[in-house]
Amino acid sequence: MSFQDIEAGRPFGSRRGLMNGKQDPTQAVAAGIFQINTAVSTFQRLVNTLGTPKDTLDLREKLHKTRLHIGQLVKDTSAKLKQASDIDHHAEVNASKKIADAKLAKDFQAVLKEFQKAQRLAAERETAYTPFVPQAVLPSSYTASEVDVGSDKSPEQRALLVESRRQEVLFLDNEIAFNEAIIEEREQGIQEIQQQIGEVNEIFKDLAVLVHEQGAMIDDIGSNIENSHAATAQAKSQLSKASKTQRSNSSLTCLLLVIFGIVLLIVIIVLAA
Amino acid sequence: MGILYALVGRGSVVLAEFSGTTTNASAIARQILEKTPGNNDMHVSYSQDRYIFHVKRTDGLTVLCMADDTAGRRIPFAFLEDIHQKFVRTYGRAVHSAQPYGMNEEFSRILSQQMEYYSSDPNADRINRLKGEMSQVRNVMIENIDKVLDRGDRLELLVDKTANMQGNTFRFRKQARRFRSTVWWRNVKLTIALIVVLLVIVYVVLAFVCHGPALPSCF
Repeated sequence: MSFQDIEAGRPFGSRRGLMNGKQDPTQAVAAGIFQINTAVSTFQRLVNTLGTPKDTLDLREKLHKTRLHIGQLVKDTSAKLKQASDIDHHAEVNASKKIADAKLAKDFQAVLKEFQKAQRLAAERETAYTPFVPQAVLPSSYTASEVDVGSDKSPEQRALLVESRRQEVLFLDNEIAFNEAIIEEREQGIQEIQQQIGEVNEIFKDLAVLVHEQGAMIDDIGSNIENSHAATAQAKSQLSKASKTQRSNSSLTCLLLVIFGIVLLIVIIVLAA
Repeated sequence: MGILYALVGRGSVVLAEFSGTTTNASAIARQILEKTPGNNDMHVSYSQDRYIFHVKRTDGLTVLCMADDTAGRRIPFAFLEDIHQKFVRTYGRAVHSAQPYGMNEEFSRILSQQMEYYSSDPNADRINRLKGEMSQVRNVMIENIDKVLDRGDRLELLVDKTANMQGNTFRFRKQARRFRSTVWWRNVKLTIALIVVLLVIVYVVLAFVCHGPALPSCF
């Protein structure tokens, strides 16, 4: 390698300059991808908290800030990756470095996909659930009340709050059980309807098969009748010819009888004379 | 089968009730009213022997019914919803200050009608109505299958008959052709006979004219 460089006649100064310029974008891209990975993990952990009792307005705010932060990191890393790609195209560098840059680009795309997936999940859960605003408001009002009245009533207030929350949870569980029972019963009815529709489908298929077979029978009947019609027509023509021949036979028979009569008459006259 | 007892109450006060059979449902219903304190909305079902008591409370008004365990939950709770709406629409805000059994004389008849409707009429539930319609469609299709099978049998008979007719017409054609041939040959025979007779007559006449059987004078 070094001999080839000497033979090419390239100066060492430009070589070192290229190496110095080359390393900064690549390492910057690697560092950026690492930071995006960390931020996306944090984002996913926050998304998993949505829909739980910990879901508060503060959590939503933190989620929003994390999303913006990841967007900024993605923008910076994308610019650095483009810079590294330009250097790869313009300058002739080692193949191993090209492979390393390609790997970094692939990692970057994988991280982006993961972030988009987490973002979609966050959007779904943000619309499906609402943060526990009353829970945040009540303790503050109770705290103010406690501060005003004194410290002797705080255990009582706290016990009442816990009891109210427990009853609310029981009520919700009861409603959920009731709705699940109704849904299960409705599903059972719909299953029965589906089964009946399946049976009707089978009946329609059987009917189609029967009608198709009977179509073949009707074709047979049609061909039989057509053959009978043709044979009858031929027989009719044969009988017509026979009728003509019969008429000719009658004429010939009469003629023969007349001739015999005349001959007989002449013979009688000759014998009488 | 179906809903056997219904009751409308406020708190633990019974405003109207109706019982389709002679059971102790009334006593059990009162126990349930007393055992469910509070004013919050709820849906709940209690089972006792083979009957289930369905309770629905909305806006402080409690509607309760006892149903067979085969009736499920969808129809009884639809019944409770319907009774609640009818009751509120009929009496309005008066339910909060009514006396015990204050509406029983009028509303028990409505309870009876609705119990009969939700117990017997399949149209009370959309799924049951759809089930009934699908059963009708299936029955009609089964009848169609039977009719098509009968048609198939008759078509088979018709195939046999037309096959026989085809055979008969083929035989008819053969016999007609044979008859024509017979008549033609008879015609040929008569023609030949006529020619022979004419030749004999000519010979006899020539024999007389030429003075001998060997015709010596003419040749």
